[in-house]
Amino acid sequence: MESLHRLGRRLRILVRRDVVERAMRAELEHHIACEIAEHVRRGLPPAEARRRALVDFGGVESIMEQGRDARGTRLVEDLLADVRYAARILRRSPALAAAGILTFALGIGAASAIFSVAYGVLFRPLPYARPDRLVVVWERNVPKNRDRNVVSIENVEAWQAKAKSFDALTVVTPTSFTLAGGASPERVIGAEISPDYFRTLGVAPALGRDFDSDDAHAGLAIILSDALWKRRFGGDPAVLGRSLTMSGRSYTVVGVMPAAFDPPRFGWLGEQQAWFPFVTTPQKRSWGRFLLVVGRLRSQVSVEQAGAEMAAIAAQMEKAWAANTGWSVTVAPLAGEITRQARPTLLVLLGAVVLLLAMAVTNVATLMLSSLRRRGMELAVRRAIGATDGRLFRQLFVQSALVAIAGTAVGLASAPMVVRLLVAGLPPGTPRSAAIHVDAPVLLVTIAVAAIATLLFGSVAALRGGSAAPLVPAVKPEGDARATARSGGVALVASEIALALALGVLAMLMVRTLAGLESVDLGFDPGGVSIARVALPGDRYGSPVSQIAFFDRLLEQVRAIPGVRTAGLISTRPFGGLGPATTVADTDDAAAGGSRDLVADVRFGDAGVFDALRVPLLAGALFDRADGPGGPIRAVVSADLARALWPGRSAVGRRVSLAMFDGITPEIVGVVGQVHLMDARTPAGPAVYLSASRFPDTVRDLVVRADGDPESIVPLLRSAVAAIDGSLPLYSLTTLPQLVETSLASDRFTMMLLSAFGIASLTLAGVGVFGVFAEDVSRRRREIGIRLALGARHSQVVAQILARALRRAAVGVAIGAALALGFARAMSAVLFGVTPTDTASFASVAAIVLAIALVATLIPAVQAVRRAPLSALREGG
Amino acid sequence: MAAQKPDLLQGTLDLLILKALAAGPLHGWAIAKRIQQMSRDVLVATQGSLYPALYRLEDRGWVSGSEAQSAEGRRIKVYRLTAAGRRQLAAEIAAWRAFSDAVNFAIVSTI
Repeated sequence: MESLHRLGRRLRILVRRDVVERAMRAELEHHIACEIAEHVRRGLPPAEARRRALVDFGGVESIMEQGRDARGTRLVEDLLADVRYAARILRRSPALAAAGILTFALGIGAASAIFSVAYGVLFRPLPYARPDRLVVVWERNVPKNRDRNVVSIENVEAWQAKAKSFDALTVVTPTSFTLAGGASPERVIGAEISPDYFRTLGVAPALGRDFDSDDAHAGLAIILSDALWKRRFGGDPAVLGRSLTMSGRSYTVVGVMPAAFDPPRFGWLGEQQAWFPFVTTPQKRSWGRFLLVVGRLRSQVSVEQAGAEMAAIAAQMEKAWAANTGWSVTVAPLAGEITRQARPTLLVLLGAVVLLLAMAVTNVATLMLSSLRRRGMELAVRRAIGATDGRLFRQLFVQSALVAIAGTAVGLASAPMVVRLLVAGLPPGTPRSAAIHVDAPVLLVTIAVAAIATLLFGSVAALRGGSAAPLVPAVKPEGDARATARSGGVALVASEIALALALGVLAMLMVRTLAGLESVDLGFDPGGVSIARVALPGDRYGSPVSQIAFFDRLLEQVRAIPGVRTAGLISTRPFGGLGPATTVADTDDAAAGGSRDLVADVRFGDAGVFDALRVPLLAGALFDRADGPGGPIRAVVSADLARALWPGRSAVGRRVSLAMFDGITPEIVGVVGQVHLMDARTPAGPAVYLSASRFPDTVRDLVVRADGDPESIVPLLRSAVAAIDGSLPLYSLTTLPQLVETSLASDRFTMMLLSAFGIASLTLAGVGVFGVFAEDVSRRRREIGIRLALGARHSQVVAQILARALRRAAVGVAIGAALALGFARAMSAVLFGVTPTDTASFASVAAIVLAIALVATLIPAVQAVRRAPLSALREGG
Repeated sequence: MAAQKPDLLQGTLDLLILKALAAGPLHGWAIAKRIQQMSRDVLVATQGSLYPALYRLEDRGWVSGSEAQSAEGRRIKVYRLTAAGRRQLAAEIAAWRAFSDAVNFAIVSTI
């Protein structure tokens, strides 16, 4: 309390410093006046009285100095004086101040923006209760080295019964339904969850109730997301208890989740608009492994302990059930699972932005140093008249700090806008983008980083600048080359070149990665192809015959649309996510007990889809009318599958054995080209295509190749579906070029950002190197003048200056290459078609950096020799 | 004159200033005079130590200065004792008594 009062008093002194100073002087003068009056009263003549009083009193100034020390505001007053002084210096060279502030702002702005994104996605605690206790439990296939596999119902039930490490183990699996009613039917993407799933996460509906164990038996309850509730039901609370017809069955709305609820997305869990209770049915038991499992660790139990317990349980279960041979368990924190995909990219960007910040800081240090060197004379004089090292250091440091503080303020002020831009540009599917915003943790870290950066470059500038001002320059105004070397020019040039090279190489590697991804032969021709998904409600389209009839009619209608060339059906579109996969073997080999089996993707399609995608038929034929229900099972396989099983021989007419539908042995009728089913990055692996009409289903992707803009065909597809059945939604409408582009979005985002960083850092390096060498050359004007006067040719002098510059640049290039290599290795997960040691990238960026350094040196060098040697001598004298 | 007077012991100036102000508010010169009178012309607070001491006491909150008008109409600063200053004065007097008693005992000691 008392110290608070004292702070207030000191603040008042600081604020009214002029008044306080004047009062102090008046007080001392009054004292002298009283003293004089006293002497006069005692009979001294006024002149003598005055003289005596003044002699007794001593120096007013020195008493005032002591007075200032005593009032407890000394430190701040000195600091304020330094700040005023530094501000004056900066105002005198506004260009320098602006350049410094903006460069620092660039570094801090970029760093805070990238950190906001990285923090929001990777580090901010998940918006659930005690999120560090939440884990995902996967099955782990030991022989195939797949450590994250979905889980079967039997296994999760066994875990729930045996495991003691968890408060709860809950299941979740994506699902989708057609919501009837309203203006148009709509496909609702959601998830089936254990009744205690939300309670395990520590979240609850904002409206209505959570699922209970009764729901788990009946399964006919639904909890809506806030978004779906507002969009579809206008945010009406009366929706509770209403019955919704979803895919032909009636569900009762029991709750609505809060608007802020961001469901965990990992594995194949995507967007979720509604949740249904997960009901265990005999049918689902037959599906094998398909569940995602989220658990809450018991308190005091670590992830490792839970992992160890689960491994032990899995070992018991492996012995007990044949289905578990080769299977173990992986326990991993939920947060890491959600951000697994985004992590490498964000860490690369975070690393790169640190380099960019270092670059900006180095540049500001360069600027400050060169301004200090121009003030060499002044500093020397100040030292000569008694400024201590500490005082000089503080003054120079304050100047840097002012620039840094202003730069940080500008950088932070622009951060929210930059973050909004970044979030808008984030690749689709980036997890947790709702958690990205500039708030206290982000600001604190940014300010801490800015403070560290300020300490570093302020100290460097102040130490170098201070020591560059010895007593000698007062006599000899221009320094020599060694002084430059001592005062940090070399180190700064080398670090600028190094940082620019490192960032340039990272950008170049990413540019080449994207070029590599774009040049991948996808195995299909995306141009002009539109895709939409159709889902038939099971109640009205339960029979295979009705399903086939519907899709036949649909294709007929679609093919009749003007401009449509071909149309076909497939179970999962290319670039449409994971589909089923199975083990494939040559039937003869399998019968002989051979082991030449491989895992192939399985898709269900018709002949039209190969046509529409322009996947070449290499041998045999495609499906035809014979492939109907009950007909022979036939398959079309990819070229590499045919090559792998029957190298050098024809595959057509042979049979493969597939480990699905309890084992089938389709005859191969055709061989088609390789197709990248997942994305450009994932290799085009072996694929088996089964006939969509031999294995009819309610959900199909409609693939349409049309002339002209694929976008224009979309409304026509909608009306084609509506013409057959008005209650059917057409959803996931997109064009294939768009899908391909979306799959590259993350890499393009990284490439754009790294390129921007690279260009910014090259520019900064150019400016910085130019600044140092312009300074250097101007300090050596006298030497250059003498040499030219003694008959040296201009070209010789320029060549010499360039050689010096190149030697320093070479040091920078070497350090930068090492730095770049370290970072490139760390980002190898993001690279494609280019190694972290890619010679072309390193060489081309090194060439660019050296060229920039050369130009930045050449300009001042040529300027220097152009000046008449005599004028240089005169100026130097 | 002042040179012949004994130096003020470290820390006693604060006590003397507080004591001088105990009788009522004074300006700087008057405090010096009052100390001189109170000590029967033995102790003199020099200007060089008086004013810094006043500012220090003001910073601690034991005295507070305020603007006033002198008889000649000059704006002068008058110091008064605060409540905290009064407590401090009592504490310093007690400390000084203990100290001087101890020194006296030491002087007369025959050990």
